[in-house]
Amino acid sequence: MFFKALDLTTALRPLLLPDETLLFVQDAVGLYEGKYKIPNYQNGHAYLTSHRVCYVAAEEPRKYSVGIDLKEIDRAEYQAGFFKSSPKVTIYPKPQKNNRANGSRSASASPAVPPSHLHSVKSLSTLSQSTKSPSPKPVNATWICPICSFSNPVPSNFDPATATAATHLPPCLACGINPPFTTVLKAAINAATSREPCQLPVPTAEPHTQSNGSSSLGPLERGGSVSCPRCTFVNHPSLVECEMCGAPLKPAGAAAAGNRADSPAPFFEQTRVTNTEVSESIKLSFRDGGVQTFHERLKNALIQRKWLLQNAPPVPPPSQATSSPSVSATTTLASPQPAPPRSQGVGIAGLEQRGFEARKNNEMVIGNAFEDLEALMASAKQIVALAETLARESGMASTEGSAETNAVLSESAAALGMVTTKDMLRSGSENLYLSELSRNLAEYLTDDRKGILYREGGIMSLIDLWAVFNRSRNGVELVSPSDFQRAAELWEKLKLPVRLRRFKSGLLVVQRYDWSDDKTLRQLQDWMEDLRQVPPEEPLAWDWAQFGRAVTAQEAAQRFKWSVGVAAEELEMAEDRGILCREEGIEGLRFWANHLGA
Amino acid sequence: MATTTTTSTPFPFPPTYNFPPFFTPQPNTTTRHSQLHKWSLLIQAWCRHHRQYRLNLIEAVDTPLFHNAALRKRLDLREARAVVDWMCKSEEEGGGGRRAEWIDADGQKSVAWVWWRRPEEWADVVSEWVEGTGQKGSVLTVYEIVQGEGSASQEFHGMDFELMLKSLQVLVKRGKAQVFGSEGQEGVKFF
Repeated sequence: MFFKALDLTTALRPLLLPDETLLFVQDAVGLYEGKYKIPNYQNGHAYLTSHRVCYVAAEEPRKYSVGIDLKEIDRAEYQAGFFKSSPKVTIYPKPQKNNRANGSRSASASPAVPPSHLHSVKSLSTLSQSTKSPSPKPVNATWICPICSFSNPVPSNFDPATATAATHLPPCLACGINPPFTTVLKAAINAATSREPCQLPVPTAEPHTQSNGSSSLGPLERGGSVSCPRCTFVNHPSLVECEMCGAPLKPAGAAAAGNRADSPAPFFEQTRVTNTEVSESIKLSFRDGGVQTFHERLKNALIQRKWLLQNAPPVPPPSQATSSPSVSATTTLASPQPAPPRSQGVGIAGLEQRGFEARKNNEMVIGNAFEDLEALMASAKQIVALAETLARESGMASTEGSAETNAVLSESAAALGMVTTKDMLRSGSENLYLSELSRNLAEYLTDDRKGILYREGGIMSLIDLWAVFNRSRNGVELVSPSDFQRAAELWEKLKLPVRLRRFKSGLLVVQRYDWSDDKTLRQLQDWMEDLRQVPPEEPLAWDWAQFGRAVTAQEAAQRFKWSVGVAAEELEMAEDRGILCREEGIEGLRFWANHLGA
Repeated sequence: MATTTTTSTPFPFPPTYNFPPFFTPQPNTTTRHSQLHKWSLLIQAWCRHHRQYRLNLIEAVDTPLFHNAALRKRLDLREARAVVDWMCKSEEEGGGGRRAEWIDADGQKSVAWVWWRRPEEWADVVSEWVEGTGQKGSVLTVYEIVQGEGSASQEFHGMDFELMLKSLQVLVKRGKAQVFGSEGQEGVKFF
């Protein structure tokens, strides 16, 4: 599993792939590699999409943002918060190819040492990629013999990354039975998972111990004696190994806790993790809630495997009547498909085999049927939306059916995948909803494919935008006007490439961030200058070479592709700046270059 | 009541007179201020050209002063009043430096003095003329000053009678003249 570089949109959100949908967003999330906090990745937004888990830092998002493909994730575990430790979601990568043989078994790890560090399991090396040297082995891992339940040390030359079932393993020290390979591997991996974070100098008092770790919750001191981290037996302080279980003991002095300013975990070495391989697990620390929903949706996404649908042909219509699983089951029973080459079993064995095949087949059919049902439930909203759209479109076609409306509606399907809806966020996180909506809007506006702002001459009234935006949402998850305005007001704060501007009259417009009044003024002035150069077609009562010609809001709108309302506001703004002056007459309001000013 | 002495030469209008927005009240304060200023100068120049001391707005709105026939633009009575109102105010009040004064300020505001010379300035002109012609110490009637042969070459020749009295009052206040006699037959003694 790799941390992958992330493309961000103009609004600093992850750029979604085609077919990728946004499932959940949470702010105030920190990133861990194994047990290590990754510096610079401690405050950001976590985006869960149907294909990826993305992290985008709040500060310098372009530099510090990474994504992990869901397809490389094996499973995710929830870990509740404890005192200062925030609740976390731990994500385990799919095992590498070289130990694939055991991957499936280790994935279903049962006794897994909880990721908490209440028990300090002694360890081992640091990660191979962080130390660049594969030499140190997890010497302090122990495996429990399944026969006599004696705790044996994992051999020092045992490397979980390279070991295979063929690796020679020493027998149990107590009963002499060779251990199953998985037991040892599991133990080694668990030990690595809870490996000690910071490397403290090994005191000379225990020269032979290779222990280089210390846990913050290490052995308790009781009047000079040291309690064993494994069996809690209180040992004499001068002992280096537990009297009872043989576990190595740590010097009492090593129990001193490290720096724990606000969160107990130490920092990871690297400051940028893009393209780094994740060795054992990553954690997302949810400092401001949202962990439950994230975990739930991540699990669902892992089950649904939407990434498989990428570039896949559309789902073929079911050839069999699958009205109910039982019916299909019977049909399969009745006519076993000829596709799988039937083994040529004879006699009772053959009958048994056929029965077994039939059962397997039925199992699969039922399984598929229920999977379909789940998929249907998941996409129920989209289907409802689609139905609504179709109904509306057919109703519209008869009445007016303008080409543009249809274009907007068809565009909206694409837009649908991009929108943030309230139910993507946990309830009550109004601010996050607004900021996400704000980013959404900015993306929508600056999307070159749609070119909404460009078409409107770089400026557009907020009400128009609201209408277009809601329309593109196909009538589902509409944004309320007040939310919309508040989201638009956040643009400036979030440093997005669009901004909201209030004209004197109170009209709110949306324009590019780099667009300023001065630019508009210059445009208008240039225009006025042009008008002075062009001789009029009919004789005028005034000196056109000096005064030029008057313009109306309509003309300005036409020339600059603004809407008329915006054009009127811009002209008045220019008047307010003393660039233009007005003439009211029977023809209406017209604007002139200001020749009245001193 | 306005003296409608038309001179042979046509009044030379300033270029802004042919600028259509000139006839529309500007909402921008700065622009409005310079617009009013230009109007004030135009009205003063117009009155000076036509030897007019008071301006009857009701009559004047139809004259070329307020009505640009070529542009088919006019300043209506209300706007003309606004201009004169502005002229009445001193510069400290953001006005036009007391270049006009309503004669019927409490009434409908239709007639105003237009001070293309303020009474104080007229007083200076008169006393200069008196000094220049050696009439100090002598007694003149107001009629003689305004219509007499001696002042034929002067700017105040043919001046509004009331305005001349106003100017003379300024001189009285300065202690340079004394006005006596009954109404209509005032005499002035210059010191």
